[in-house]
Formats: sequence, C-alpha cells, structure tokens
Amino acid sequence: MEFFDLLSPVFFLLAAAGAIVGIIFGAIPGMTATMAVAVCLPLTYSLGLQEGLALLLGLYVGGISGGLVPAILLYIPGTPSSITTTFDGYPMAQKGEAERALKICIVASLFGGLFSAVVLFFFAPILADFAIKFSYVEKFLMILFALTVIASLSKNMLVGIFSGLIGVFLSLIGTYDVSNGGNGEYRLMFEFMEPYLESGFSLLPVLIGLFGVATIIEQAEKGVKEESAERKVQLSNGAPFQFAVFRSQFVNLIRSSTIGTFIGMLPGIGGSAASVLAYTQQKNLSKHPEEMGKGAPEGLVASESANNALTGGALIPLLSLGIPGDSTTAVLIGAFTLQGLQVGPLFIGENIDTWYAMITALLFANLVMFAVMFYAIRYIAKVVLVPKFILYPIIIMMCVVGAYAINYGIMFDVWTLLLFGIFGWIASKIGLEIAPLVIGFILGGSAEVYFVKSLESYGTFTIFFTKSPIAAVLWLLILASVVFSILIHRKSKAAKTSATV
Amino acid sequence: MNQSLSSLFDITIDFDQSHLFFPRIVIALLAVLFLWIVISNAGRIQAALTGKGNKFRFFEPNADQFRLLATLILIPLYFVAMDQIGQLIPNMGMGFLLSSIPFMFLLSLAYLHQRTSRLIMLIAANAIVAPLFVWFLLGQIFNISLP
Repeated sequence: MEFFDLLSPVFFLLAAAGAIVGIIFGAIPGMTATMAVAVCLPLTYSLGLQEGLALLLGLYVGGISGGLVPAILLYIPGTPSSITTTFDGYPMAQKGEAERALKICIVASLFGGLFSAVVLFFFAPILADFAIKFSYVEKFLMILFALTVIASLSKNMLVGIFSGLIGVFLSLIGTYDVSNGGNGEYRLMFEFMEPYLESGFSLLPVLIGLFGVATIIEQAEKGVKEESAERKVQLSNGAPFQFAVFRSQFVNLIRSSTIGTFIGMLPGIGGSAASVLAYTQQKNLSKHPEEMGKGAPEGLVASESANNALTGGALIPLLSLGIPGDSTTAVLIGAFTLQGLQVGPLFIGENIDTWYAMITALLFANLVMFAVMFYAIRYIAKVVLVPKFILYPIIIMMCVVGAYAINYGIMFDVWTLLLFGIFGWIASKIGLEIAPLVIGFILGGSAEVYFVKSLESYGTFTIFFTKSPIAAVLWLLILASVVFSILIHRKSKAAKTSATV
Repeated sequence: MNQSLSSLFDITIDFDQSHLFFPRIVIALLAVLFLWIVISNAGRIQAALTGKGNKFRFFEPNADQFRLLATLILIPLYFVAMDQIGQLIPNMGMGFLLSSIPFMFLLSLAYLHQRTSRLIMLIAANAIVAPLFVWFLLGQIFNISLP
C-alpha cells in the first residue's frame, strides 16, 4: 500500500514531538491547544503535508490533555476544556492524592481520544459520501445550520448570532474574488486600504490575534500576577493510583466519550462545552452525586474523556464537510491551505492516503501522550512553574513569527495581529462572543459564494425551500436548534430565578 | 443595484454590482439584530450607562494601567522597529532578531513584580537567548521568512 510509504520515522517523531510540546502548551494556563497549533502552523510548510499534519495533530491531542495538570495542581484549568477537571481534581490534590488524580485523568483522556479516533475513521467517510451530493443550496443551508448551532449554544442567543454575523461581515472585507465567480471589485473599505486588503484579512493572523494576543492584553490589564505555585507541586501522600478504579467507570467512560465526540461534531463548539455536559450528565446519573465536586474519580473520568473525545469528533465535520468542529480544527484548515489543498466532501476520496496518515497520527499521538504523561508526570508538573513575565513576551514573539510567515512575509499580517488582538479584548468586554465570531469569519466567504451562486443558478429565493429533501431536513435541523436553544435559555433563566429566591 | 423582481421572490443579480449584494444583506441583518438586542435589553443598558446598580466599567476594577499601557505601546513599537530594521538589512531576519531582543527585555521588565538583580539577569538572558533560538531554528534551518 502506498500509504505505508508515507509513514516515515520523521512522521512518528513529529507526532510525538507535537504531543509533547502540546502537553506543555496545554499545561501552562493561558496558553491553549488552539494557540499551539496556530503558532506552529507556519512550520508545517517546509515539512510537507503528512508530516505537518502529524505535528499539528500531536499538538492538538497534547494541548487538550495538558490542561489537566494545572487544573489538578493549581485549581486553574490549563485550557478551557479542563474547567470541570478542577472540580474534583483539586480536592483530590489537597488530600495528597494528586498523583492518583493525574493518572486517572490521563487514562480517561487516552480512552476518549482513541474512542473518537475510531468514530472518526468509520463515520467521516460516510458523511463525506453523503455531502458530495450537496448542491450550492444545501451547502449554504449547512453553513446556516452551523451558525445557528453555535449561536444557540452561546450564553445569549441574540448576541451569539450578532457576533457570528460580525465575523461574516469581517470576512467579506476585500475583493469579491473572480475565482469564486465574482467581479473583482473592492468593497467595504476605504480607498487607502486597497493595496493591503486585496485578499481580505488573512485567517491565521486574525485567529492568533483573537485568541493569543487578546488573552495577553487581558492578562496585562489584570496585572500579570503569578499564581503561587511553589507549594503545589508535591505529588503523592495519599491513596496510590490503581487501575481498579476504572472497573466501575466503564459506562461513564463510554457515555462521556460519546458526548465529547458528538459535541466535537457540532461545528464551532469546543472542549469546555463537551466536558461540562459530560460532567453534569455524570452527576445526574451518579449513584453518589454528593461526592462529586469533593474529589470523586467519576468526575475526573467524565471531564477528561469528554474533552479528549472532542479531538476526533471535531475532525469529522472538517474532513467530511469542510466545516471546522471547533476553533483548533479551524486553524487546521490553514495547514491544508498552506499545502494548496481544500477540505470538503471530496477530500477523503481524493486524498485517501493522507486520510489514513491522519488517523495514524491521531492514534499515535494519543499513545505518546499517554506514555509521556503517565510516566513523566513529575516533570510535566514542573512546567506549571514557568513565570508569566518570561512566557508572555515569548508568546507574542511566536505569534509574530506565525503571522508574518503565513503569507511569506507580509508585515500587514503582523499589524492584523495587533488589530484583532485589541478587537478581541474590547469585544469580550462589551459582551460579543468570540467563538461564533471566529466561525462566522471562517465560513463567511463560503456562505456568500453558495448563497449568490444558488440565486444565480435558480433565480429565485424560494429555491432555498424547495430544492430537495435534504434542504428540507436541514431546515428542520435549523429550526430544531433554534427551538432547543430557546428552551435551554428559558430553563436556565428559571433556574436562576429560583436559585435567587 | 439593478434587480428586476418579476415575481415577488424571483431575483436576478446584476454582475457589476454583485460584490455588494451579500454584504448589504449582512449589514441589514446586523442592523435588525442590533436594534433587537438594544430594545430587549433597554433597561439594563440604561442602568449600565447612568450608573444605577451595575455601572458599566470598561476596565477591570483595579486594572493594572501600567502593564496594560506598556503592552499596548511596546507591541506597536516592536512592529515598527522590525519593519524598519528589516528594510535596512533585508532578507536576513535581522529586523526580527534585533527588535525582539529589546522588546522581550522591556516587556518582561514591565511585567515583573519584584525587581531583583537575579530576576533581571534572568530576563536579560532570556531576551537574548529566545529570539536567537527562534531566529536560528526557524529562520535558518526551517527557512521560514522572518521580518
């Protein structure tokens, strides 16, 4: 099989290196898996597609897993997907059971990651085959569905939709590309900006700015205070780790991994939603719900298996529909673009060897993550101690390298970093939601192309409703997600008012 | 925009103006949503602006103005320096290297809470080593363009 030729030792080395570096990024609070992938993305150009993907997938898996370390040791999640790990991990650490907590989480993470990789392997090609039949109308409705899902899961649905639309608007700035059937005219900008914004804002500087630079500006505003970490890194005085703890957790593992994979499949929703949902489900179904939050292994298992299961799940819509499952996979699109490939329903069929290579990288990265974290946990724990005043300037420097190199040397992209960094900082202050905004930005261009082409081909607005049964199903899904979100918001409002009574 | 509406929903898009078609729809939707949000939250917005209850604060309480300003000033200076030096000495990544060293030193210094000579030496060492490492590894070995 040609595929085995692609698996050079360098491939495995890069997957392993990616996992290790990802774990370190994830373990440092304030740095996320998305940032790790975004910053290392430009490196992949010189590496070639399979090797580059091996590195990035390693970073992804490692980044999500690394977050559990400070969550348990410092009560600070290393990445947003580890928030629920703090609930039970920290109390266990305080009882001296830190090593036990860490190892439980690592095993749960491995399970979640492998589970979702298997689901990815079997499900994505089926979805891709199905999606090939989509015409412009269905493709547009698919994007509309993605945007409504994200909006409906954000705190305030109207604001979520508004943020998504702002993202779409920002993506339209530039020329209406001739290669997409447009007329090549500049729009939505003043004349002096034309030479810079001919192709609009580049995705990667926007992403790094919104997620990386904005975080650092926020931290600067808060004073860049160091967590008092010295006391926290002693690991085991209490009960030792035993695999036996998993005997009663099997159902929990499967259910939480399924939740994580499914949430990953929903476009734009990320790790924190997956782990929170899995945790609350476990709490609802637990035999001893009062134990959770005080150091119950089941809480750790639910949280960590769900957030690692997200990795495979998020790749499903990316590789079958071309729609990213979360912000990290959104950045992965950049890797394909660097190599001149387009993700979409045809991707798997036309690049079957790359597909197999990706699955291999994912599986291998999970194994490396497990091996490294399980056996080297004492060293990893020390990472938590790097001081922020050293770290943040390094991050800014890496962001600059990433932004500049992405288009082979355009300074404007570096300024885009700052622009969107400030924009992201201000946006979260006034209540805009960043995740819908980013997805809107990524999908906005395609949304326009599909929408306009549908109208140009069929000449009437009603085509969106009458095109085919698939379109009807998509409308039902859109409606369902809107109704669902209204119900959720009513429920949480009722819960809030009854809680304050 | 020349759009002929022969029946209520039929539409043809004039090619010369087609670059404005979708943006106008998006802008219209944004305007509608904005009004909707403002109207449904009118009470809270009024309270936030006039100061009864939760006054809207742009900055965090106890915002660290010094570090914030340091960040917002040093970063643009860094970019400008990179660009200018890069134009003086093109294609070697020197702009990046020579501006990163002072930037990292100054920003780390600004973020520091305790100024001891030991920490300052640490920052200085980092400010020299880290950019050199990145410049060498990424610029020379991986051949990535650096300013």
